[in-house]
Amino acid sequence: MAQIELEHITKTYGDKTALDDISLCVRDNEFFVLFGPAGAGKTTLLKTIAGIEFPQKGLVRIDGKIVNHVEPLNRNISMVFENYALYPQKTVYDNIASPLRSRLHRESEEDVQKAVVKVAKMMSIEQLLDRRPGELSNGQRQRVALGRCLVRTPNVYLMDEPLAHLDAKLRHFMRSELKEMQSAFNTTTIYVTHDYTEAMSLADRVAVLNHGRFEQTGTAHEMFYLPSNEFVAKLFGEPEINLFPAELTAEGGSVRLKAFDGEVTLTPCADVVPELEKGAKKLDVGIRGNDIGFSFQQEGRDWIRGTVYANEPIGNKVVMTVEALGTKIRLVAPNNTKAELDQEVYLRFNEKNFIYFDYETQKFIVRSDMDRYLRS
Amino acid sequence: MNNKNEIDSKLVSSYNKRKKRKVLGAVGRNLGLTLYAVFALFPLLWMVLCSFKPDTEMYTTVFRFHPTTANYSAVLIGTDYFKAFYQNFVVSAFAVLITIVAGVPVAYALARYQFKSKESVAFTILSFKFAPEILVCLPVFLIFQKIGLYDTYFGLIWVYQLVTMPLLIWVLRGYFEDISVEIEQAAQLDGYKWYEIFLKTLVPLVKPGLVSVGLLAFIFAWNDFTFPLILSGSNIQTITITSLRYLASDTVHYGQVAVASTIAVLPEVIGCLFIQKHLVRGLSFGAVKG
Repeated sequence: MAQIELEHITKTYGDKTALDDISLCVRDNEFFVLFGPAGAGKTTLLKTIAGIEFPQKGLVRIDGKIVNHVEPLNRNISMVFENYALYPQKTVYDNIASPLRSRLHRESEEDVQKAVVKVAKMMSIEQLLDRRPGELSNGQRQRVALGRCLVRTPNVYLMDEPLAHLDAKLRHFMRSELKEMQSAFNTTTIYVTHDYTEAMSLADRVAVLNHGRFEQTGTAHEMFYLPSNEFVAKLFGEPEINLFPAELTAEGGSVRLKAFDGEVTLTPCADVVPELEKGAKKLDVGIRGNDIGFSFQQEGRDWIRGTVYANEPIGNKVVMTVEALGTKIRLVAPNNTKAELDQEVYLRFNEKNFIYFDYETQKFIVRSDMDRYLRS
Repeated sequence: MNNKNEIDSKLVSSYNKRKKRKVLGAVGRNLGLTLYAVFALFPLLWMVLCSFKPDTEMYTTVFRFHPTTANYSAVLIGTDYFKAFYQNFVVSAFAVLITIVAGVPVAYALARYQFKSKESVAFTILSFKFAPEILVCLPVFLIFQKIGLYDTYFGLIWVYQLVTMPLLIWVLRGYFEDISVEIEQAAQLDGYKWYEIFLKTLVPLVKPGLVSVGLLAFIFAWNDFTFPLILSGSNIQTITITSLRYLASDTVHYGQVAVASTIAVLPEVIGCLFIQKHLVRGLSFGAVKG
């Protein structure tokens, strides 16, 4: 139940910059996901909010009050640590009960027991309450850590990859549980992850962090359809987005894209042309795997010939990697697709779904039918 | 079918063989350990035997002698042995207490905080143990004479810190370094104050090390000879110094020395037995794992 604001936060370790002039406002009751590769500064950002790490510059506000000089215990924050940080000498029960037994948040032993049992049930670890953390698997420890965080109702929940070590099924279950809890408890949550599906399914808003700076802040939808640059585009989506350079040319009055050293000529949609003509001639074109059509027969003149490089069935879909025009193109095929290695295959790009980036700056320029994506 | 039986019988015989080897291994291991225990404990046993021997039979190496308690009455009743025992205990116990109270925070600071020339400070503390005690003693003697600490409890307790403090700091520093800093941070967010975190979370985690190193420090302090020899006079007498008295210039009363040593060893042995569990775990460094 609090709004978190960061203003121009800079944090360095020696000559290494962990956070570089970060400004952020996480609204009340928001589920905010920090997303980025390892070493991007996600954990440092969380710890700065928690008050465990101190920024060299900038202000941290909770509910409008500047808390730079408030001790962590008085910030009323609950956190899940990436390495669990359980107390090894205490049982699971005492670990989870610990926040409720401190002088600040003390409750009667009866209430403590009720709360602990409730949380343990939710994490399905009620049979482990008498064990010590040393006797648990990593997944169980992670659930205990999550339990210790959720047992209290603080201003903000900070979660540092709380589901990273759970098995896939449990992760899925916990994901929906967290989402459910979020709407039931009405608390602000800041959640760190490097799994884009987690980010997309949980987040009200996502911030992509890289080298201590935000690449983009917005809804998961925006990240996926309107990535602000190639870095963000590559982070979201599986298989990774296909990017290839292309050059803008005018052929007899109509605008064309010459790609793959001029071997392929593509026609951009009419609504993106004005925007494209404003910028540089050299572009990067991105297209996601599920926007590429494929066929094992030559269907038409504009189909591109390639060979199957790899074919990975992953249950509900098949990720096919095709070697064509000197690069590898990843596309999504229906799950009954069978293909031999090195088999001939023909591809067709759906121009409507091209995302255009500047070749030099790698920044987003435009995509077709922008209004539709901006609306939703 | 036949073939299967054959395989079965082969499996059984190999299982039996392995079992036999396991039993033999256990017997051999225990035999070896027993031999070693006898070897290690023999001096102790010999000392106890000597304490019951009359002076005339002291040099016989057979185990047959006429047991006597004359040595015990000579030492315990004839001299102020108990006073020395008490004083030795006071000095050693307080020395260890001060070491723990002051040394644990130092070890924590050396493990956690980054400050200028941290390693040099740590090394300097360790280097206190490098110099031979006798070398340190002479200047300290002169200083103590000047400032009136010669032959006082406080003087000895203070100078014993040279013996006990570096040991404790270096062992516990390793323990604190093994505790992930996130555990402290988690405790902070749970709503605990720094001293609660230190006492309730950190101290229990380093307890095995603390107990064993505390005992070791106590043993070193209890057995120290050089410092009390030079820095104390008639007021404060530790056991090690009192035992000297039985070495007269003409004869050596080995029986009485043996009595003095036997009783002097008791607190250490009892202490060791009490904390045996911690001792084994505590001295294998890095036993604290999250």
